[in-house]
Amino acid sequence: MLRYILRRLLLLPLVVLGVTFLLFLLTQRLSPEMRASLYIKDPRQMGALEEVIQKYGLRDNVFKQYGRWLSGALTGDLGYSHSANMPVARAIKEYLPATVQLAVVTIVLVVFFGVWFGTVSAVKKDKWQDVCARLLSVGGFSLPIFVLGLLLLMVFYGKLGWFPPGGYSITTDVIIHSPSFHTYTGFLLIDSLLNGNIGVFWDVARHLVLPAVTLCIGSFALMVRVMRSSMLEELGKDYVRTARAKGLAESAVVYRHAGKNAVIPVITLAGIQFIRLLGGTVIVETIFDYPGIGRFGVTAAQQLDIAGIMGFSLMVAVLFVLGNLLSDILYTAVDPRIKLHE
Amino acid sequence: MNAREDILLSVEDLRVSFRSEEGKTEVLHGLSYRLPKGKVLAVVGESGCGKTVHALSLLNLLPSGGEIAAGHVYYQGKDVLSLPPQELRRLRGAEIAMIFQDPMTSLNPIRTVGSQITETILAHTDCTKLQARARAMRLLKQVGIENPRKRMDEYPFQFSGGQRQRIMIAMALCLTPGLLIADEPTTALDVTIQAQILKLIKNLQQKNHMSAVFITHNLAIVADIADEVLVLYGGYCVEEARADELFAKPLHPYTQGLLHSLVSLKRKEEHLPAIEGYPPAPGTPKEGCPFAPRCPRAWDKCHDRLPPLFEKNGRRVRCWLQEKDDNSGRN
Repeated sequence: MLRYILRRLLLLPLVVLGVTFLLFLLTQRLSPEMRASLYIKDPRQMGALEEVIQKYGLRDNVFKQYGRWLSGALTGDLGYSHSANMPVARAIKEYLPATVQLAVVTIVLVVFFGVWFGTVSAVKKDKWQDVCARLLSVGGFSLPIFVLGLLLLMVFYGKLGWFPPGGYSITTDVIIHSPSFHTYTGFLLIDSLLNGNIGVFWDVARHLVLPAVTLCIGSFALMVRVMRSSMLEELGKDYVRTARAKGLAESAVVYRHAGKNAVIPVITLAGIQFIRLLGGTVIVETIFDYPGIGRFGVTAAQQLDIAGIMGFSLMVAVLFVLGNLLSDILYTAVDPRIKLHE
Repeated sequence: MNAREDILLSVEDLRVSFRSEEGKTEVLHGLSYRLPKGKVLAVVGESGCGKTVHALSLLNLLPSGGEIAAGHVYYQGKDVLSLPPQELRRLRGAEIAMIFQDPMTSLNPIRTVGSQITETILAHTDCTKLQARARAMRLLKQVGIENPRKRMDEYPFQFSGGQRQRIMIAMALCLTPGLLIADEPTTALDVTIQAQILKLIKNLQQKNHMSAVFITHNLAIVADIADEVLVLYGGYCVEEARADELFAKPLHPYTQGLLHSLVSLKRKEEHLPAIEGYPPAPGTPKEGCPFAPRCPRAWDKCHDRLPPLFEKNGRRVRCWLQEKDDNSGRN
C-alpha cells in the first residue's frame, strides 16, 4: 500500500512537468515584446520595454526561461500575479481554501443525495419515486450551470434576499481580518467554529448555499444515474438472492449487501467530480462572485497574467494526481479484492 | 409415498410463469408432491425444465419478471406463499434454508465470510454477536474449513470454489433448518470436490434429521442421496417414484433414456447413448406430451393429448403407455 502510494507520488513531478512545460511553450507564442508589455501599466513607460525584456531574460531560449520558472517554483516562488496584485503563491494560499470548502460541501451533498435517490430509484424501479428521481436527474443534467446559477441568484437573492452572493458579508470580512481572529486552517467554516464565532460560521454557510446547490445539480444528476444502474445490477446478482434466502430484512439486503457493492463505481465518479470541482468551478465562482481559486484563474486568463495562469495550472495538475490517488485509496477501503500493490 | 408419514413439505399444483415482452410464459405447469420429514427428494431434469424455478418458488425468491401464477406450498401446514413478508422472512434461513448452484457468485464479494454467517444467526435469534461468532466458527469447522478463527475474517475471493460451497452449507445449516433446498450444489465444482461436498451434505442431513429437496441433473448424485425422485420435463412432472424403484425400473421413456445415457463401466461403447433432439423451449405452444417429439415410443395420441399423471403402486408417471394397464389416472 505504502509502496503503491509512493510510486504514484513519483508520477506527480512528471505530470506537473508535462503540464507546465506545455503551457509555457504556448506562452512563447507571444513575442518577448508582448510579454514584456504586460508588466507596463502606463503607456508613457513603453520606452522601458527593452529594459524589462533584458531584466526577465524574455529573449532567452525557452528551456532556459522554463528552467528559471521551475527553479523559482521549487522554492515556492511562482512569480507575481498582476491580476491579483500579489505573489501567485500567496494568491493560491488565499483563494484555494474557499474553493476546497465549496468543493467539499458540494461533493458531500452530491454523494449523499445521489446515493440516496439512486438507491430509491433502483429499489422502486418504474414506480413514481423512480420516475421523479429520473425526471429530476434529466432536468438537472440538461440545465446549463450558468442558467441555473442566474435563476437561483434571481429568486433567492433578488426576490427573497435569503442567500447573498460573494464569500462573506462585510461584517465578517472585518472580523476575520481582525487580529483576534486566528486562522487555523484557512477554511472559514472550520476556523469560525475554532474561534467560537457562530455568527461568522452562519454567514459563511449562507454564502455557500447558492454556489453549492448550483454545482450540485449537474453532478447530482450523473450520480443518481450511475448509482441507479449500479444498484439495479447488484440487486440482480446471486448474493442478493442468498441474502434474501437467509431471511434478512429487505433493508439489510438493499443497504448492507447490494448498496455496499453498488457504491464502488460511485467512488470513482465522486473522485473525478471532486477534482473537477477544485479546478473548474470557474463559472459558478464568477456568477456568484465567490472568492475562490477558479475566479482567480479566470481573471488571470482574461488579463493574460502568465505567472497567474502557470501557477493555477500547476496547482490543478497537483490536485489532479492527488485526487486520483485518493480515490484509489478509497477503493481499497470499500472493496477488499482490490489491493494497491503490483 | 406413504400417507401416514409425517408430511413436512407439500407442494400443490404449483404454476410459475414469466413475463416478457411477448406476454406471459408458463414454465412450470402444475407441480405437486409431498415430502415426509427426514427424507430427501431429488428433482431431476435437463436445463430449462423448471428445476431451479421450482426451487426458488418454494421460498418465493423468483427473480423479477417471474411470478407464481397458481398453487400452494405448505411447510408444516403453513401456506408459505401467502405468508406476510415478516413471517416469510422468519421462515427463510431458519426453517427452510437454501444452497445455490454457483458458490462463486452466491456470496457477497466484499463482506467477510464470518459476517455473512453471523448475520443469519443474528437475524433469527437473540444471541449476542460474540455468541453468533462462536457458533459460526464451530460451523465452519464442522463443514471442514481449517483454522476457522482466522478464516472467518477473510473474504470469499480468498477461498476456493469447494470451500465457498462449504461456507454456503455452513450458512444454510447454521440454524438447523427442517428443510434444505439444494439447487445443483455441486454442478459448478470439479468431480473430486463434488463427491466431498455431497458427502458433507448427506452427513449433515442425516445428523440433523433434515429433509431436503435436492435439485440436480446428475443421476449419479440421485442414486447416492435421494429417497424419492421426481423427474421434470418441459415444466411437467413426468415421473415420480422411490429412488430404488426408479433405478430398477424406470417407467417413462424419458427416464429410461436418461438412465440409459449414464456412463457405465460395464458397457463398452464407442459413443454414449443420448436422447435425440432437444427439450422444448419454454412457451412453445403444445398439445400432447412435451416429450412426444423425442420419444421413441410415441404414437398419434401422444402428439394430440397431454397424458395425465397415472398413479400406480405408489408411483406416478405421465405417459399414455400406462393407460393400457391402468385407467385410474388422475391429472
